[in-house]
Amino acid sequence: MAAVSQLQRQFVDYTTSLYNEEYLDDQFTQLQKLQDESNPDFVVEVVSLFFEDSEKLLNNLATALQQTSVDYKQVDSHVHQFKGSSSSIGAKRVTNVCVHFRNFCEEKNLDGCLRCLQQVKHEYILVRTKLEALFRLEQQILQAGGSVPVME
Amino acid sequence: MAAKENKGSYVISRSSNTRMASFIKRIFVKIHSAVNSWERNHSLCRRKSLHRDVEQEELQHANTNCLSSYYSVFVARLAIMVMLAILIGLLTLLTWHFTKVYTRTSLNALAYGLRYELLQRPVLRMWSVLNSTVEITTAQVKISEYVMRKYDKPENQAQQVELYEVMRDVTWALFASHRALNSITIKYKNGFVQAFHRDPRDNSTYYIYNDLTNYTMAGPYDVNSSSSHQGWNDQTIRSNISAIWYREPLDPDTGEKIGKQKAIAPDELINIAGISQVPYGAASWHVAVSKFTNSPLLSAAMPVRDASQESIVAVVGVTTSLYSVGQLMKELVGFHSGHIYLTSQEGWLLATSSTTPLLTNTSTGPKLMMAVDSQDPVIQTGAKWLLKAYGNKPPPSHEVHIEHAKLGNQLYYIDSFFLNLKRLPMVGVLIIPRKYIMGKVDERAFKTLMILISASVCILVIGCVCIFVLTNGVSKEMKLRAELISHLDARRKAEASSNFKSQFLANMSHELRTPMAAVIGLLDILISDECLTDEQHETISQIRRCSTALLRLLNNILDISKVESGKLVLEEADFDMGRELEGLVDMLSVQCKNHNVETIIDLSDDMPKVVQGDSARVVQIFANLISNSIKFTTSGYIILRGWCEDPHSFVENGNFSLTRKALWPGPKNKLIQQKSQEKSSCKKDNRVILWFEVDDTGCGIDPSKWESVFESFEQADPSTTRLHGGTGLGLCIVRTLVNKMGGEIRVVKKNGPGTLMQLYLLLGTSEDIPLENYKLKYADHNLKVVLALNGSMCRINLSKWLSKIGVHTWDACEWNELTHILQELFIPPSRYTQNLTYECSKVESISKQEMEASVFIIVVDIGMLNLSTDIWKEQLNFLDIFYRSAKFAWVLNHDTSNTIKIELHNRGHMLVVNEPLYKTKMIHIIEAAIKERSISLRHGILGGDTHELLEIDNVHSDPESSNDSEKSELNSSSTGIVQVELTRRTLSSSNYGIVNNCFLEPTEVSSGRNKSGPNEPFPVAVNGGSSQEKRMTSNGQKSLEGVRILLAEDTPILQRVATIMLEKMGATVVVVGDGVQAVEALQNPMESGTTTQTKMQDPPQYDLILMDCQMPKMDGYEATKAIRRAEMGTRLHIPIVALTAHAMSSDEAKCLEVGMDAYLTKPIDCKLMVSTILSLTKLQPNSLIISSIK
Repeated sequence: MAAVSQLQRQFVDYTTSLYNEEYLDDQFTQLQKLQDESNPDFVVEVVSLFFEDSEKLLNNLATALQQTSVDYKQVDSHVHQFKGSSSSIGAKRVTNVCVHFRNFCEEKNLDGCLRCLQQVKHEYILVRTKLEALFRLEQQILQAGGSVPVME
Repeated sequence: MAAKENKGSYVISRSSNTRMASFIKRIFVKIHSAVNSWERNHSLCRRKSLHRDVEQEELQHANTNCLSSYYSVFVARLAIMVMLAILIGLLTLLTWHFTKVYTRTSLNALAYGLRYELLQRPVLRMWSVLNSTVEITTAQVKISEYVMRKYDKPENQAQQVELYEVMRDVTWALFASHRALNSITIKYKNGFVQAFHRDPRDNSTYYIYNDLTNYTMAGPYDVNSSSSHQGWNDQTIRSNISAIWYREPLDPDTGEKIGKQKAIAPDELINIAGISQVPYGAASWHVAVSKFTNSPLLSAAMPVRDASQESIVAVVGVTTSLYSVGQLMKELVGFHSGHIYLTSQEGWLLATSSTTPLLTNTSTGPKLMMAVDSQDPVIQTGAKWLLKAYGNKPPPSHEVHIEHAKLGNQLYYIDSFFLNLKRLPMVGVLIIPRKYIMGKVDERAFKTLMILISASVCILVIGCVCIFVLTNGVSKEMKLRAELISHLDARRKAEASSNFKSQFLANMSHELRTPMAAVIGLLDILISDECLTDEQHETISQIRRCSTALLRLLNNILDISKVESGKLVLEEADFDMGRELEGLVDMLSVQCKNHNVETIIDLSDDMPKVVQGDSARVVQIFANLISNSIKFTTSGYIILRGWCEDPHSFVENGNFSLTRKALWPGPKNKLIQQKSQEKSSCKKDNRVILWFEVDDTGCGIDPSKWESVFESFEQADPSTTRLHGGTGLGLCIVRTLVNKMGGEIRVVKKNGPGTLMQLYLLLGTSEDIPLENYKLKYADHNLKVVLALNGSMCRINLSKWLSKIGVHTWDACEWNELTHILQELFIPPSRYTQNLTYECSKVESISKQEMEASVFIIVVDIGMLNLSTDIWKEQLNFLDIFYRSAKFAWVLNHDTSNTIKIELHNRGHMLVVNEPLYKTKMIHIIEAAIKERSISLRHGILGGDTHELLEIDNVHSDPESSNDSEKSELNSSSTGIVQVELTRRTLSSSNYGIVNNCFLEPTEVSSGRNKSGPNEPFPVAVNGGSSQEKRMTSNGQKSLEGVRILLAEDTPILQRVATIMLEKMGATVVVVGDGVQAVEALQNPMESGTTTQTKMQDPPQYDLILMDCQMPKMDGYEATKAIRRAEMGTRLHIPIVALTAHAMSSDEAKCLEVGMDAYLTKPIDCKLMVSTILSLTKLQPNSLIISSIK
C-alpha cells in the first residue's frame, strides 16, 4: 500500500507540475471529470485521438509550408484546427503557440510560420511525452491496485 | 532629381562642351560633399543641443530626408546659376563682338577711301608738277626754236647778242609766268648759258650767265656723234673754270635789273642742264638737289634743235622745286594727322609731310636720302617696316595696304601707291596712326565691353540671388514635403499601432475571456459542490464575485474600444422598458442594502410599456448610472425616475418643476425638427422622448467636473479611485450610448446633497399600446392600503401614486404607528369610521358589510419587526388578529433569515415580495389580493390560496420574463455583452428565486447553503445561478434528459469531448463530421416529411444543433444558411448553437447573421453550454423543475 500511496503522491505531484508549467489547463481536468464507469478510458481515448490528429496536422503543415507558393489560408485553417483540438484537450502551450502561428499566417510571414511550426512540433512532442508519462503512472497505480487520485 | 535631369539635358545640349560640363559636374560633387559634411556636422551639433532625448531613429530618418532634399536643391541651384552665367557671358560677348565688327568693317571701308584719297592728292600734285615742268620745258624749247630759227646763222656778234637778248626776254617771260619754277637754264651749243633762278631762301630772283669770252662759235652739235656729246657734259661746264659766271639780281616782278652783276664762284652755280641730260634727244627729267633749296628739285631737260631738226643747238633745263608737294602733304597731314612721303622707286625720299630735311649734307654737297634714313622717326620706322615686310621686292603693283603695322608703341595704317612714270616711277606711302581712325571706335568698343561686362555681372548677381530666393522656396517646399512624408509615416505608424491595439484587444478578448469563463465556470461547479464548509463557500463566493467584477471590467474596456472604433451597432427590438429597469433595480438594490440606501424606481404611468431599442444597452446605461450612485452613496436614497414626454401631447408631470425642464431646451426642439423632417417619410414612426433621472444623496460632483466626468478614465476626484476603485469608463460608455440613442445626459443642479443625472433617450414605440388605467381598474374594488415601510422615500412615492389612482392609503414608518393605524382601522370600527370620513370626505360611515366589501391590503416591511430579539413572533401574533380582515403582503429583505420566512409561511402569509417595492410589485400585490378576494367570495372560505398564488406568480414570472428574455436573446443581433446577458439571465432567474422561495419545500430552501452573505454585491445573480446549478445537481446531472442534439464537428477530439459532456447530461447525441452531413442528417427526415403535409408538423429529429464554424467541405455558416433555407416556409426552427474558437464579437455577429441562435466558444464550458441549450430547447427550465418536483 505504501507503494501505491507513493505512486499516488507522485502522480499528484506530476500532474500539479504539469498544470503549473502550463502544459495542461482546466480543460484537461474537465476531460478527466468526464471519465466515469461508462467511459473508463475516455481521457486516454481522447488524448490518443489528439495525438493522431496532431501528427496528421503537423505533417500537413510541414508539406504546406514547403510549397513554393504557400497557401496561407490552408495553413491557417490547419493551425486553427490544431488550436481547436489542442485547446479541447487542454494542451495549453500548444494552443498558445498556435495563436502566434495564426498571427504569422495573417501576416504571411513565412519565416515566422516555419519557426512556429518548429515550436508547435516541439511543444507537441513535449506534451505528448508528458501525457504519456502521466498515463504510464496512471497504469502503474491501477496495476498496483490503487485508484487514480482525482485532481481538483 | 529634376535638377539632375535638367543638368543632364544641359550637358547633352552642350555636347561641344562636354568636357567642361564634366568638369563642372566634378566641382558640383566636391562642393556637395563639402556641404554635406557641413550639414551633417551642423545637424549633429543641433541634435546634441536640442534633441538629446528625442528618439534617435526618428531624427536620423528626418536628417537623411533633409540631407537628400538639401543635396538636390543645392545641385539644382548651382546648375541654374552656372547656366545663367554662361548664357549671360555669351550674350555679352556676342553683343560686343557684333557691334565692334560691324562698325569696324564700315569704318575700315571708309578709312580705306580716306587713305586712298589722302595719298592720291600729293601724288596727283606731283604729277601735275611734273606735267607743268614738262609743259614749260616744251614751251621754252618751242620758243627757243622759233627765236633761233629767226636768228639762224648769226653773222656777227651783234646778231648773236641780239639773239641772246631776245632769248633772255622770252625766257624771262616764261620764267615770270610760272612762279613755281626754280630755274630755267638755256645752254647754247657754244657753251653760253643763260639762266633765271629763284632763290627760295631770300625770295630773290637772279639772272645768271657766263661771259662770252670763252665761247666759241662751234658748229652745231652732232647729235649722233659721241665726241660732241662729250663736250656737253657737266664736267666740261664745271671744269670750264676759265669761264666767268655772273649773277644779276632782278626784280622778281618786272625782271628789271636791280643790282650789279657780280661774278660768282662756280660752286654757287645752279644746275645747268647740259647735253648729257638729253642723250637721246628727247625730253628727260630727274630729281636733283641744289644747295639753295632743302628740298629735292625736279629738273627736266630738252634739246632745242635747229630748223632742219638735225642738230641740237641748245639745251633747255627747267627745275621745279618739289617743295609744294611737301607743302601739300603738310597741309593734308596737318588736317588729318599721320605722315606721307614720296619716294622714288629706288627709295630716295622726294617729299615728306614732316619738316625734317630731305637731303643729307655730304662732303660732295647735298644728296638725296633714303626713306629709311629719314630723321622723322615715324617715316623711318615705317620705311623700315615696309622694307622688312617686303624687302627689296615690292609687290608688283606696289600697292600695299596694311592695317596693323606696329611702329614703336603705336599701331598704324600703312598704305602705298605706285605712280608709274616712265622716267621717274614714284611710290607714295601714307602712314596714319590707327588711333586717328579707329581710336574712337576702339574706345567705344572698350567702353561698350566694360558696360556690357558690368551689366552682365549685375544681371548674374541678381539672377543668382533670384535663383537662390526662388529655390529657397522650392527647398522649403521640399522640406515641408519631407516633413509631410515623415508625418504621414508617423500617422501610418500610429494607425498601425492603433490597429495593433485593436488587434491586441481582439486577441486579448479571447485570451482573457476564456480563462475568465473557465474561472467562473469552475467556481460555479465548486459552489454547487455539496461538501464544502461554510467558510470555504464564503471564500469561493467571494472569488466568484471578484471574477465577475473582473469580467465586467474587461467587458467595459472592450466596450469602450468597440465604441471608439465605431463598431457599436444598436439593435432595434421591442422590449418592456419598465420590466427591464425594475429587474435592474431589483438586482442593484441588494447592493444598496449594504449601505442603508433605499433604491426606488419611480416610472410614471404614461411611459409606453413597449419601446423599441437596444434593451441591453439601455439596461447597461442604467446599470452603470445606478451602480455609480450606489458606489458614492452611503446613506439616503437612490431614485430612478422616468417619465415620458410626448412631443405632441405635452403632459405636465407633477414630479418635476418647470425650471428643470427649462434647463433642457434642446431635445424637444430637436425632436420636433426631426419630426418635421421625417414627417413626410414616415409618419407612423412615432418616437418618444423618455426622460430619466438618477437622483442620489451621495457625495455629489463638483460643478466644474460636470462635463468631464463623462470623459474616458475620468473620475470626479482622483481619490475616488483609491476609495471606490473603478476605471472611470462607466460614465463614458453611458454617454456614448445615450448619444447613440439620440439622447443627452448631463449632471443637473440639485437642491441638497448628492448628484442628479438627467438624461433623455429617443426611442421608438412600435404601436400604441393603451395604457392601463389603474384608476378605472381598481375603482370598484374599494382598495385600502396600509403601507408600513421603513424607507420613507419609497413609502411617500407609493402612497402618492396609490392615492393618485384612487386608493386610500395609510402610512406607517414604524411598528407603533402601524399598530396604531391597525387598531384605529379595525378594532374600534366607530373610530375608524370617523377617521375614514375624515379621510374620504363624502363617504358614509363604513358598516360591517362595507368593511367586507372593501379590500384591505397591509404591506409590511419585514424590517418593521424587531428581529434582533424574539419579539417579532409576538408582533406576528399581534398581526394575526387582522389576518382575516386584511390581506397581508410582506416585503422581505434579501437577507431575511429562513426561520422568519418559514414562520411566515406557516402562518399563512403567502404574499411575499423582495425589496425594493415598486409599482409593478404593488400592482401584483393588489391583483393577488383582489383575486383572492373574489375567490374567497366565490367559495366563502379562504383556502388553497397557495395554489392560486402559485398560479399568479407563474403568470408573473414564467411566460413573461423567461420568454421575454429568451426572445430578446434570440433577437440580439447586436454584439452581445456577456455581462448584460448574464444580468438578464440572472434577472429572470432571480424571479424564479422569488417564486422558489414561495413554493419550494422548506427543507430544500433551508438545505441550500447558497444564502448569500451580507456583503455580497451580486447575491441575486449567484443565487439564481446556483439555484439553477442546484437543480441540475439535484436532478442527478441529467438536466438535458431527452434532448436530442446533432453535433457537427470535424475535430475528433472535440467530437468525443462534447459527446461525452452531453451524454453525461443525459442528452442523445448524433455526431456528424462536416456541414454537408449535418444538412443531410436534417434533411432526411424533412424530405420524408415533405411528402405529406401533416408530417411537417411532426417535431424534427433533433432538438438542437451544435455547429462548429470551421469545418471541411461546408463550414458552419454555410450549413446554417442551408438549414435555414430548407426551413423556410415551414414553421420549424431548429436551434443552432455555434461552436467556434474565435471569441470576437464580430464572429458572434456573423454567427447570428447566418441564422444561428447562440454562440459558444471553444474550449466548451460545460455549464455555459448546458444553460444555453436549456434556454434554447423547448423544454423550459421551470417545467423541468416542476417535473422534477413531482
